[in-house]
Amino acid sequence: MTNKNHNWASQRDEKNLRMANATSIINNKFVRTENAKELLETLIQPNDRVVLEGDNQKQASFLSETLASVDCARIHDLHMIMSSVSRPEHLDIFENGIATKLDFSFAGPQSNRISKMISSGILKIGDIHTYLELYARLFVDLTPNVVLVAADKADKQGNLYTGYNTEETPVIIESAAFKNGIVIVQVSEIVDKLPRVDIPSDWVDIIIQSDKPYQLEPLFTRDPQNITELQILMGMMAIRGIYEKHHVQSVNHGIGFNTAAIELLLPTYGNQLGLKGKIVPYWEVNPTPTLIPAIENGWIKSIHSFGGEVGMEQYISARPDVFFVGKDGTMRSNRAYGQMAGQYALDMFVGSTLQIDKYGNSSTVTNGRLSGFGGAPNMGSNPTGRRHSSTAWQSLKPTDNPLAKGQKLVVQIVETYNSAKKPVFVEHLDAEKVQKEANLENVPIMIYSEDTTHIVTEEGIAYLYKTNSMTERQEAIEAIAGVTPLGLRSNAKKLNQLRNKGIVALPEDLKVNRLAAKRSLLAAKNMEDLVKWSKGLYNPPAKFRSWS
Amino acid sequence: MEKLYFKFTTTQPVTKFVHVGVVASGDLEIILRPNNHSYSTLNIITGSDGFKSTWSNVLSRFFDRYPLQGDFEINDFGATPGVVNLRLSQVMEVLKNEQ
Amino acid sequence: MKSLWIFPGQGYQHANMLTHVDSSLLHYVENLLEIHLNDNVQDYLDYVKLQVSISLLQVDQVDKLIAKGFYPQLVAGHSLGIFAAAYACGSLDKENLFKLVKLRAQLMQNAYPYEYGMGIVTGLTLNQLEFLVSQVNHSSMPVYVSNQNTPDQIALSGKLTAIRKVLVLAKKSGASKTLVLKVPVPSHSPLMKPIAHSLCEKLDKINIRTPNCVYLINSSGYSTRKPEFIKKDLSESLIYPVYFNSMISIATDFKPDTIINFPPGSPFRKILSQQFSEQHQIYLDQHIFDDSLFLLNKWKRGLYK
Repeated sequence: MTNKNHNWASQRDEKNLRMANATSIINNKFVRTENAKELLETLIQPNDRVVLEGDNQKQASFLSETLASVDCARIHDLHMIMSSVSRPEHLDIFENGIATKLDFSFAGPQSNRISKMISSGILKIGDIHTYLELYARLFVDLTPNVVLVAADKADKQGNLYTGYNTEETPVIIESAAFKNGIVIVQVSEIVDKLPRVDIPSDWVDIIIQSDKPYQLEPLFTRDPQNITELQILMGMMAIRGIYEKHHVQSVNHGIGFNTAAIELLLPTYGNQLGLKGKIVPYWEVNPTPTLIPAIENGWIKSIHSFGGEVGMEQYISARPDVFFVGKDGTMRSNRAYGQMAGQYALDMFVGSTLQIDKYGNSSTVTNGRLSGFGGAPNMGSNPTGRRHSSTAWQSLKPTDNPLAKGQKLVVQIVETYNSAKKPVFVEHLDAEKVQKEANLENVPIMIYSEDTTHIVTEEGIAYLYKTNSMTERQEAIEAIAGVTPLGLRSNAKKLNQLRNKGIVALPEDLKVNRLAAKRSLLAAKNMEDLVKWSKGLYNPPAKFRSWS
Repeated sequence: MEKLYFKFTTTQPVTKFVHVGVVASGDLEIILRPNNHSYSTLNIITGSDGFKSTWSNVLSRFFDRYPLQGDFEINDFGATPGVVNLRLSQVMEVLKNEQ
Repeated sequence: MKSLWIFPGQGYQHANMLTHVDSSLLHYVENLLEIHLNDNVQDYLDYVKLQVSISLLQVDQVDKLIAKGFYPQLVAGHSLGIFAAAYACGSLDKENLFKLVKLRAQLMQNAYPYEYGMGIVTGLTLNQLEFLVSQVNHSSMPVYVSNQNTPDQIALSGKLTAIRKVLVLAKKSGASKTLVLKVPVPSHSPLMKPIAHSLCEKLDKINIRTPNCVYLINSSGYSTRKPEFIKKDLSESLIYPVYFNSMISIATDFKPDTIINFPPGSPFRKILSQQFSEQHQIYLDQHIFDDSLFLLNKWKRGLYK
């Protein structure tokens, strides 16, 4: 029996009350820049759940700096929910006693500090998520009281334009706007007419013009100049031994030089092998400049992106057949949909990692650095809910079970030793130690052994999906682990047995000529080449310009 | 900087002079000259100290697979074991292509 | 400009390093501490004159930069360098700084007249070295893992016979380099507890103010803005390893754009150039002050163009 007088709109009343307290500084949704601190101190209450937008690229930097400066006597014990902890003030919020608990996905740029703050008890971790998981929880048990997000422009009615860098703004706003949360947006500019409406004004409570445009980082730009011949060799092996062998049609590439090498080999080596039109026409990936030669050479039908990339704006606008572009001519990104596509609609994920253990588990968490996960585990896992089929997916289906289904290809490309000459293949991941130090429920493993189907090193490819026991899986890893302590457990006899079974392939087995692994094989050797391929439409950020 | 010397019993005498790689950051050059012994010698100058056992592992594994016989001169400027192995394998491929 | 100011400890002192120090500051210190500083090799065999001179040199440079409108956003000292760091961030005043440094040096000079010191091992991990130390360490053979300056360069502190034993074991376990340092004190080890105790008593009577910027802590490798943590570091850092490697990693997370290295010497050049390859870096003792200022002003303009 419920009380007749039970208030079923208590959250809405609470929101209205808070908004009423701030009426003196709100003028029809708009708040003056200099009133930002007072606004947050009025609208946020102790113990609130607050989402702060922090994408890979776009950062609500004005609002995060403001939040870090509020009076901790008024606002304290906040529970912060942030996909990416990337700016110093994100952690100042905790150090200054404003927040105590954090649920997050990725903390790469703050990984040293966050790990120290956890061990000294300044910050309590709720959980570390993948991006998609964190967004999902915004609609279940982490519905926010207040969200702080960033947009490029607002019009006088309060509609928002988020453009190229829409990223996670829509999913965050939706979780608050329809569950009595307060939506506060920082905008770089207020205009009469928007290029297009990305977020309707109905979903927005407060708009505040920032003192400077939000911070934007060219995170996915890799200068081809830094690609090594070893990376080219591994790229050639991957193209022959994986992309071609499995007829891969749709792919996500992780961030790094290994995959940049593959992108730049498609228009050269890929063409020599006659693979154009046969492999990887569909991509879920950020608009990385190293894809330009493959696009211009006619390899790619479609690219959907999680976010934008600085300098690629004009090029993308001029290629609407390939990218997702609005009627206004600018790209629209969306991280939540991108992660969904990456998990369910792709044949293959190809990435790199910092450590792989003897079983094939991998992690980017190393001693003293709690970097989190980001989106890689969504891409780099086999979605057991997948029901549609494709040639590549079917090619991994076990033959001995009539009810078996296919599997996503999850590929790790690593050099056996990193550039500091430390082995990448290890007995135990550093992540196991970090779990204890940070008191986490689970070891922070990025990609589990069971999901990893292929590992590529400079020695060769291990087809882990073909192994039929953990012992055989370990032997396959050892066979391509070079002279790391794990690799030294292998020998010529074991290697040849695995080669005969097709579980390990060396470059000669794939007809890859090591002497051909030269930088001259890259479709672009430097940033200037990429600009030429783009017909001058790509505009690299200053730090990537060595010419003028 | 460190100077290393290794000797391996080998069975496949080379007849040609081979030069691969460059002395650049993270890379190395290998110069191979034919000899008349029943073993290979390796004179290595490396910029990274303290990696003798890693060198020994890379070389043992290589000569185990490809017992090329000759005198090797290696000038290393911080190459990883992976790069060392790639350059050694390229020496092998140069010789194979010329056969 | 978002700058990280780094203050080294002893080891790179040299005769005539005080040549350009402001003469009124020099006289102030000489009167305050009742010592005479000759700035020569003999002087630098004396712990008190050595440590006071290094701090004097660093304070002089801090004063000159601040007078020209430069302030740090992050300060990091190494061992003795923490006193100038605490001064640069506004937590410790000049008078107390020099009195503390003198006291610290006197206590260190008298603590272990012989048989003790420090060593260094390159090429082993912390875990490996901790294991080797645990095999040797004993009440009659005290040896401890000490300062961690880079991920693969770790210091040892303790009795020299014990240190030599660990160095032999380290070489056998694959260390690429081992050596005994020319330091006659087992610094940054539990053997320094009596000294820390005396410093603590002195510091309890001193007002340590809230810093104007982030202070990186020697004894934890972490950052702080709280005066009580700075006070603890100033009094107790000699008992703990200097986690310099961690301090520098933490500093990178604060994204400084300029690194200012204070004299004497450039002991951390390698790790700093690795960690801050994209930032502006300057070593103050390699330029005359006006040239340093010219560069800093140029960078400042460039950053806000």
